[in-house]
Amino acid sequence: MKEELLVGLEVHQQLACRTKLFCACPPLKSEEFPKKFERRLRPAQSETGHLDPAAVYEYAKGKSNLYFWNPESSCLVEADEEPPHPLSAEALRDSMLVAATLGSHLMDEVHVMRKIVIDGSNTAGFQRTAVVGLDGSFEVDGARVGVQSVTLEEDAARILGEDDSSHRYALDRLGVALVEIALEPVAGDPELVGRVALHLGRVLRSTGKVARGLGTIRQDMNVSLGGGKIVEVKGVQKLNLLPKIVEYERRRQSMLRRVAEKLQEKGVKEVVCSSADVTATLRGSPSHVMSRLIGEGGKAVCISAAGLGGLLGWEPEPGVRLGKELAEVAKANSLGGVIHSDEFEKQGVTPQEAAALRGAVGCGEGDGMVLVAGRPESVDRVVPLLKARLAGCVGGVPAETRAPTDAGETRYMRPRPGSQRMYPETDIPDITVTRSEMAELARSVPEDWRVIVGRLERERSLSADLALKLYDMDAVGEFEELSGRLRLEPSFIASVLVDLPTRLSREGVGEEGYAPPALAAALEAVAAGRMAKEAVPDVLKLAWEKGVTAAQAADALGLGAVDEGRLGALLDGLVSRHRALIAEKGEGAFSPLMGEAMKEVRGRADGSLVARLLKEKITEASGAAG
Amino acid sequence: MGDLPGYKGASLRFLEEAGAAVGDVLEVRTSWGTVTGTLVPRYLDADGEHVVLKLRSGYNVGLSLEELVDAKVAAKGEKPTFSPPPPPKPAPGLPKVLLIGTGGTIASRVDYRTGAVRPAVTSDELYSLVPELSQVARVEPEIMFDILSENITPAHWAKLARRVYRAVKEGVDGVVITHGTDTLGYTAAGLSFALGGVPVPVVLVGAQRSPDRPSSDAPLNLLAAVSIAGSAKFSGVYVAMHLGESDDKVALHRGTRVRKNHTSRRDAFESVGVPLAAVWGRNGLEHVADGLPPRGGEFKPAPRFDGGAALLKFYPSMPGALVRAARRSGSKIIVVEGTGLGHVSKEVARELRLFVRSGGIACMTSQCGRGRLDLNVYDTGRDLLRMGVVPLEDMLAETALAKAMWVLGTGARGERAKELMLKDLAGETTTRTFPG
Repeated sequence: MKEELLVGLEVHQQLACRTKLFCACPPLKSEEFPKKFERRLRPAQSETGHLDPAAVYEYAKGKSNLYFWNPESSCLVEADEEPPHPLSAEALRDSMLVAATLGSHLMDEVHVMRKIVIDGSNTAGFQRTAVVGLDGSFEVDGARVGVQSVTLEEDAARILGEDDSSHRYALDRLGVALVEIALEPVAGDPELVGRVALHLGRVLRSTGKVARGLGTIRQDMNVSLGGGKIVEVKGVQKLNLLPKIVEYERRRQSMLRRVAEKLQEKGVKEVVCSSADVTATLRGSPSHVMSRLIGEGGKAVCISAAGLGGLLGWEPEPGVRLGKELAEVAKANSLGGVIHSDEFEKQGVTPQEAAALRGAVGCGEGDGMVLVAGRPESVDRVVPLLKARLAGCVGGVPAETRAPTDAGETRYMRPRPGSQRMYPETDIPDITVTRSEMAELARSVPEDWRVIVGRLERERSLSADLALKLYDMDAVGEFEELSGRLRLEPSFIASVLVDLPTRLSREGVGEEGYAPPALAAALEAVAAGRMAKEAVPDVLKLAWEKGVTAAQAADALGLGAVDEGRLGALLDGLVSRHRALIAEKGEGAFSPLMGEAMKEVRGRADGSLVARLLKEKITEASGAAG
Repeated sequence: MGDLPGYKGASLRFLEEAGAAVGDVLEVRTSWGTVTGTLVPRYLDADGEHVVLKLRSGYNVGLSLEELVDAKVAAKGEKPTFSPPPPPKPAPGLPKVLLIGTGGTIASRVDYRTGAVRPAVTSDELYSLVPELSQVARVEPEIMFDILSENITPAHWAKLARRVYRAVKEGVDGVVITHGTDTLGYTAAGLSFALGGVPVPVVLVGAQRSPDRPSSDAPLNLLAAVSIAGSAKFSGVYVAMHLGESDDKVALHRGTRVRKNHTSRRDAFESVGVPLAAVWGRNGLEHVADGLPPRGGEFKPAPRFDGGAALLKFYPSMPGALVRAARRSGSKIIVVEGTGLGHVSKEVARELRLFVRSGGIACMTSQCGRGRLDLNVYDTGRDLLRMGVVPLEDMLAETALAKAMWVLGTGARGERAKELMLKDLAGETTTRTFPG
């Protein structure tokens, strides 16, 4: 029986505001960072003495955070050296428009909260965030998708890199306004998730208020299988990876559930772990692997895991193994040296060594072993984490936060944060949205993109594909303007706007070359008969390469359109050269002569005009002959 | 009412009808759907038209009364009980440090249910919030006041000085005073005079970012202050605050030469006209200035202040009546922040002359912030000198005010008081002005 897969999407989309959310800095990407400082974040303790598990985990890594900044894109607010300025009214309005467009109920009193995040990605140790809408919904392929909430929040700092002792962040992105749309979980296949995300992206763009370009939109996913614990996958930037990642998580979670079932079958109620320092045992070992792992001043600890023998390397579905999970936990804590008993032989651990390790931790027949080696402080931090992870195997899938990989898989990041991580931002008073502001928002809700695309298909006779591409490239306005003004086939205009840029960029022609003004100029020339349709790509390419106008490029290529008079003369010459053929075939001579004519015209005249004139001339000539 | 703090008007009636109290889980029906969440308190100045719920996701939302149909209590709230993880125990043999709280919450925890911030009041709580403290001292916390620093007066300085005096007699190795940063410099100056010859380090400390946030500067400042108070080889009154914007070093400033020079930065405090007393890094003191008094010596506390002194900042067109007002309000010493080398307008000078003639003491400092007075360069200055205005060299105006209150507190008047104002008692004036 296939277990039900539930996927809740959270889409984070930057808004295209003039300033950041809580200061007047422009949302600008900096290339250079003349200033830097270093901070350490501590988990803030709650009233009940509870600490957020994710916060404790990050703190225990003992890493400091280095922040790099440039006054062109950040000020003291981002450096957490000045209280936040009042929330940007522009961002509030834009986020509420997004919420309204998604059918949400708008909040007329907005409360800004602090959400504890202590991986260093926010200098304050929390992210400021506020609910602006609740309880929306939309439809995709006939299925209703609920929108739990729409929140307005500040973007995190951009990570530049990390090593064993510190994270390095740039402050330019910190504080940029973004909306988070949290969807109710949808049940079903991974492909549906992709379609929902695609639809949502189009809805967001329809508001005209969102930023475009790489890194301006990213998705988090909450994935659970068969009612199990929720796994959060953070920061998927490529839409086409979503279905792949969902499928990977299904396999991974299914593997973890089956490991739990196997343990139950074996009668293992609890994975008891014991550990021992085996540095001395392995120091003299002839095994190359061991000496490499321990290295200079290193330490090795062996952990026994009751009942897990044979299950650590088990791969019930492609690419998912318990052993891999353990290695990821270690890796997230800067430790590379983890091998388990199912792979001892493959890793070059001799049977004698294995026996010695077995003895050291009192490992029984059906038990597994995990060997951890590296710098002593890393080993000491990782061993309890691995023990907890092994002990958790009886419970199936652990709740955790994972990161996507470029291959469409996921890797361990940290435990999932608890609910005790939000409290009010006392520096920002509650914000009241007036009735007239609400009414204005309701009036500004844009038309459904599907209606717009449908109209293009119906009224302009565009193919569904072309109409959608126009929409996705934000070219509908440009298209409507040009097709209203120029006497050209709408589908021709659309294909120039949609396909040409892609084609030219594949040939290495940069963005400026096919910017709308250049395309429009070329289309105008075609409409006015100064240039033939067929010449458009070559002309634009040359115009971009030489930095000249479309008209100049056309002349340079000898592609300036020939007028009807000159075309007539040219065709007269052609007809007179082929009198014999016409006399023989009559109108049947059209086809071969048309081919020749187009070769001579080389795109300087419209094909249909050439055909009409040539037909006339052939009829004339054959009449005269007859 | 006590169960519904901040609620008033229609929203109060709505909640009373539902029998709700803050902390309860409410199920609220609205015109657009049902919302479930924990009822949280409302800010005192907020309207009576909204009910604020904390959703399961942790977010607070304000629900407009117009849209609410009814509410029912789904679960009564439970008072949270504080059960912190077991704190590390300080090692025996560590120095003993008295930690006095005055109200600037330097260590606190958050009530995630309601958003309130509570100060940490026991040493266990302190150790569990800043575990490193247990490595440097046995800390004995004591909350003396719970007031914002702008409400601190010389009467509080006197109480603090007496408490320090008792603590020294009881044998503590050092004292740390947590204090709001706004008037930290004034209190440090006042204590510097009241605790003359104090044989242990007395370190005042604050935070520019509140301790309920993970990025607070409080833990590092506190750790440095406790470590210095417990183990430094020198004595005296100091202020410990971040040296820069990074969480790596803490600057120790002399109590009479320190000023808050920025509204919000972590490194707002600066030593004016003198080098830093010391710099503390994570491994302890990295640099100590020459000439700091060693521990021990003769302790001559004089923990009394008389608030009959005023600080007036001169400005163009300042009416002389302000000087008269200070006199009428009982000021026996007026500290003037003059322009440049120490100047005021003719009108203000005339009023100061009358004040001096009536037995008052007028002292001059400069509003330039840095540098030394010189009343001999221009006629205005010479006139002021002739009429008996006391030039306070390079003393900070705030320090001069605190000193004036202390001088009056000793009972000194007239020439004796002038003499004390001019005499360097706690490093408040220097004889040489250095670059920088």
